[in-house]
Formats: sequence, structure tokens, C-alpha cells
Amino acid sequence: MNPTTPADVDRTRGHVPAWSIKIVLVLLVVIGTTGCGATPPAWFRLNMVEATKQKLTPDQERQVATLLTAMFGTPDDPVALPESGLDEAKLRLAAGPVRSDIVGRKNGLYREHCAHCHGVTGDALGPTAAFLNPYPRDYRPGIFKFKSTERADKPTHADLTRILKKGIPGTSMPSFALLSETQIDALVEYVKYLSIRGETELGLIRAYFELDDDAQGKLPETREFLVGEVLEPVAEKWKTAADALIAVPEMPPEIDLAASIAKGRELFYGDKANCVKCHGPTALGDGQANDYDDWNKSIVEWTKEVVGTDDKSWANRAHRVLDGDSLEPRTIPPRNLRLGIYRGGRRPLDLYYRIHAGINGAPMPAAKGTIPPEDIWHIVNYIRSLPYELDGELGADRPMVARDRF
Amino acid sequence: MLVPLGVGCGDGRVSQPVVDTDAADRVRASLVTSAGAAVETGSEATATGTGWGTLKGRFVFAGVPAEAKALVVDKDTEVCTKDGVKLLDRSLLVDPSSKGLANVVVFVRKSSRVKEATPPTAPVVFDQKQCEFITPVFAARVGQSIDVHNSDPVGHNTNIAGTSFNQLIPAGGGTFFKPEAETGMPTMVTCNIHPWMKAYAVFRKDGYVGVSATDGSFTIPDLPAGEMLEFQVWHERSTGPNGALGLAKPELKWTPKGRFQVMIEADEVKDIGTLEVPVAALGG
Repeated sequence: MNPTTPADVDRTRGHVPAWSIKIVLVLLVVIGTTGCGATPPAWFRLNMVEATKQKLTPDQERQVATLLTAMFGTPDDPVALPESGLDEAKLRLAAGPVRSDIVGRKNGLYREHCAHCHGVTGDALGPTAAFLNPYPRDYRPGIFKFKSTERADKPTHADLTRILKKGIPGTSMPSFALLSETQIDALVEYVKYLSIRGETELGLIRAYFELDDDAQGKLPETREFLVGEVLEPVAEKWKTAADALIAVPEMPPEIDLAASIAKGRELFYGDKANCVKCHGPTALGDGQANDYDDWNKSIVEWTKEVVGTDDKSWANRAHRVLDGDSLEPRTIPPRNLRLGIYRGGRRPLDLYYRIHAGINGAPMPAAKGTIPPEDIWHIVNYIRSLPYELDGELGADRPMVARDRF
Repeated sequence: MLVPLGVGCGDGRVSQPVVDTDAADRVRASLVTSAGAAVETGSEATATGTGWGTLKGRFVFAGVPAEAKALVVDKDTEVCTKDGVKLLDRSLLVDPSSKGLANVVVFVRKSSRVKEATPPTAPVVFDQKQCEFITPVFAARVGQSIDVHNSDPVGHNTNIAGTSFNQLIPAGGGTFFKPEAETGMPTMVTCNIHPWMKAYAVFRKDGYVGVSATDGSFTIPDLPAGEMLEFQVWHERSTGPNGALGLAKPELKWTPKGRFQVMIEADEVKDIGTLEVPVAALGG
């Protein structure tokens, strides 16, 4: 390889030939028109945090990206394999750039309404994400908080539809109630698509560690592995979500509200339900406040590993991944129960779900199994009374400065 | 000239792999056309012998462990640090007299046969006392009941990563949990109310798991004899991938992924001897 170009040689002789100036000009025009200005075709971004954590080689990263394209297509051209249970027609309405092919019908809904926060990949790394508190949801781990199903199960289609219609109070997630039913339906399907894709990606990346040595670091590209072992277990959980609804017994009718609230209060402060430990003696959410949710915790734990390693070249890359592919971890404050703002919905039923199953992905544990249903209803009634609780309502001796309650 | 074209538009993030679109099309075609075919992947172990054998060994730490750090205990101190007891970091437990390294996990990656086909009906007890999980590392079989108990006078919650199990465990009470899937490498168990509390759980279908005791020894009985078994080794502090403990033991084909291979004859008690774990393998 000769590093010296003809232009350099000419320059050493004291002049630059006209043809080389022409080449430079042509290149400048090319860069100017296509370089940073034009919209390139959209690609999903690889889960760099997990890929770097698992120390994938460049070839392995390329294999994951290629296999995912085979199984799910691209952001402009999504593919739904039959086993995914997804409806490709709905995905096409939500996918791609914002455009309209028929008067009155809009395509590219996800990029119009969602991608600036949730990211084209559904990785919660959209351009506005870093400015929001709480951060937008990263769909890739397949964990969702506000749902009518048991903790370990996926949300139903109706649960996600409800979030799109109502928004999430107390967060930046707005209501999309002005969109048509068809459009909301398409977006819900697309969120499921990104989530199934993201969980499949995690499965593929983690599968390298499980490979036998004779596989030579390459995942099998067979249908049995890709669909049977990786995609189907993920898709199956979405298909069975509707069978995993939380059974909610009627609120006990024989007890009057004041008595129920008093019972709920006792449970709130007692060491059986133990709500006080996190939500605080004042219920202002000032108890245990230095914990993280699952999304942030994984970054916190990995950062410790990166800081502690002796492998400097890997650590350099890992630091760049932390900078570019994750957001600064934040602790998760327990909910302030005196505001009357409930992210998962304010119906008594919503609060019942939250207490029964806890909040998946968050420190909030499930009461199921240890607190009987009627007691959960008492706690619901107490929680609902908290924003309106006045000093003296439950007895003049009860001071409002709640630390004095003990 | 081409270099600035290649990187000019970058935003400082690590570069992305380029998708091989031809290969993607080819794989997709094979995924769509062979629908419905359920073929054995060939990754299952096949039985090549009869009878059962036992594997045993002992891990020792080849160095002097640093003094365990005290944990920051700032909740329920009247219970958690009762009588001035200090809670210590238990991630590296070395027996001073025998040098034994506790809580190393050894499990079979794939087995063709299992002596007890169904998990035992007796539950595994996983208890917590004085704001510590009593067993820092515990194993259970998939489908086996775990009695998650709380022997403290304060409430806890038990959160098993990767399983969606996170339940309140009231003072003096408990609940049961049945793992539905294998963990692969051990998964972290925490209490969100007392964030210093930490343990690890490993769930396997066949139950072929050994956790090294205080003196560093482990025993895995009833292993299928007459087949090459591959074992996976893990320790919380290991610097290997996902906590895998790699040792220089060529005679056991021990890999940096923390795996070694052994064939056991029927009724044999195979002792792989004393396994020295260098200081560097556990992060110094």
C-alpha cells in the first residue's frame, strides 16, 4: 500500500493540478447531498449493553443483527413470523416513516407518536428520553408494570390499549385518545412486536454463553433453535396473557367504609403488609428511597463490573456503551400516596391489582399469598382516603406530622 | 478520502454491526418454508451407560482473603444489628483453618438420565434471620417447592431476579414458590426493604447441583454413569463471563467459561480432588 496519493506528490512539487481540485469538489458535493442530510434507511439498534456485557465478538454481533433481521425485518419493513402471533398488517400501519398512501390514512404512527421517547428500536433511547423523569419504558426486557394480569405474566392487549388511551398520570406518557381505534390497535401491536423482538434479541445474545465449545461461537441458524427455542417461549407468554387475569373478589360488602379504612391503616403500618417501610410513615413516599427498578439496576450492577475489571480495552468500550446506549441510572422513589395520582390508574380495581401482584420490574412486592383479598381491599380503601385525610378525622389524638404517629 | 465519509455522521456511540441482508433473506426463507417441522436439535444428551455415580471435590482459596467489609445497615437497626452485631459482606467466605472456599456452585449442563424423575415433595427452606438470608447460595429443582420464610420480627420481601417472584414475607410468616424454569447461572435474590440483603439461587430441572460447604467441599450424588458429563462452575466473585469460574485444570478440560468434563462409572465415587482457586480468579 502506498500512502501517498497523486495529489500529495503534485503538492510537493509546488502546485495542485486542476483535476484533483475537481475531485475534491465532487466529493464535497456528494457529502453535502447524501452525507448527513438525507434520511438513511432505518435500522434497529443492537442491544449494545447486553452484547458488550456478554463480550460478543464483532462477528457474533453481526450474526445477532442478521438473525433478528431475518426474524423481524427492519423498522421500515417489519416481518411477523406466524409463531410470533403478531398481525403484520397492523404492524405495517405503525411501522416505517410517517407517510400517507390513501387520503385520510396515515402510516408510520410509531415514529410519529412514540419513537422520540421510546426510540425506533423500543429501547427507550429516543432523543427526548434523557430529559424525562421517569424515563420512558424500554420494551426489550418484556417487562410491563401496569396490567390486569399476574406479576410474571404479560399485559393483555386491553391493558396496553388502556395505557395508550389514558396515558400514565404523573409521567410524560400522554393520552392518545384522539387517535382512532384502528390506529391505537396498530400501535399496541407494534409495541408487542418491539417487545417480542427485544426479548428474542436478549435470548440470542445470552445464548452464546450457553453454546458448547464445538459450536465455535456461532449460533445455530435452524428453525428449531431460532423459532422453537428462542422466539416461541417469548411469543407464547403474550398469547396466554389473557388467561392470566388476576381474579378479583368483590369488595367485602358487610363492612362500612370508615371501618375498612381503619383496618387498612392498621395493615399499612403493621409488619405484615409493611407498606410503611417504603411509602414512609407519612405515606409521602419517603421510606426506602435508594433502590432501583430492574431497568436501572441492571445498568448500576453492570457499571460496578466495568469499573472493577482489569480488562482495560473491554472497559474502554464498555464505558462508551454506557455513555451512548444507556441513560444515567436513577433511583425509584416509592409513590407519594397523598397526591391522588396513580400511574397505573385510579380505579379501586387498579389499586387492587398493584397491591395483589406488586409492580413487575419495580421493588413493589406482591401481597398475593400473604395478605388475604379482603385485607387488600381494606388497604385499597385506606390508600384512597390518604389524599383527603384530614387531621382528626380518625380521632383527635392522631397528629398529622406522621413521624409522631409511632 | 473515504475515512471521513465513513465516520463523518457518527454521534460518538459505538458503531453498529452491519446486517448481512443476503444471509437474513436466506435464513428467513428457511424459517418460513419448513413450518411445522419439529426436529430434535441434537443438543440433548444421550444415555451411553447405566447405573449411577457420585462426584466430589473441594475448592480452596489460594491466598489470604481481605477482611470482609461491613454492610451499610440503615433500616430496622433494632433488629438487624441487635446486640451490636455487624452484618458483613459474604461474597468471599474462606474457612481460616482449611482454606475451604464456600458457595461455589457446580452443576451439570446436560444429563441424559435422572435418578429421581420428579423433584422431592419436601420443600427447600429459604429463611431469613436478623436481616440476612441464612443460605447465601441455595439450589432447588424446577417444580420443587421453596418455603420462603421470615424468622425476623420485621417484614421482608423476597425478590428473585429473572422469575418475577417478589413477594411480601411478613414477620414470622412465609410463602411458597415453585420455580418454573431453569436459571442457567445462579440468579440474584434480594430484599428491597433491606437493600444490603443478597443471596443467589440456582434452579435446575435435574437437580444435579452442588454448593460448596464451609470447608469448600461439594458432593453431587446419583449422576448418570457411563457418559461424558459437562459441569458448569460459578462463584459470585468470579471474574469470568457471567460468574463462570475458570481454572487451569487441563486434565479435566476446564475452560475459561468455567466448564469441565468428567465420566463417572457406575457406583463410583469420583473425587476430583482439591481445586485451588487463584486470588485473581475472584477479582483479587
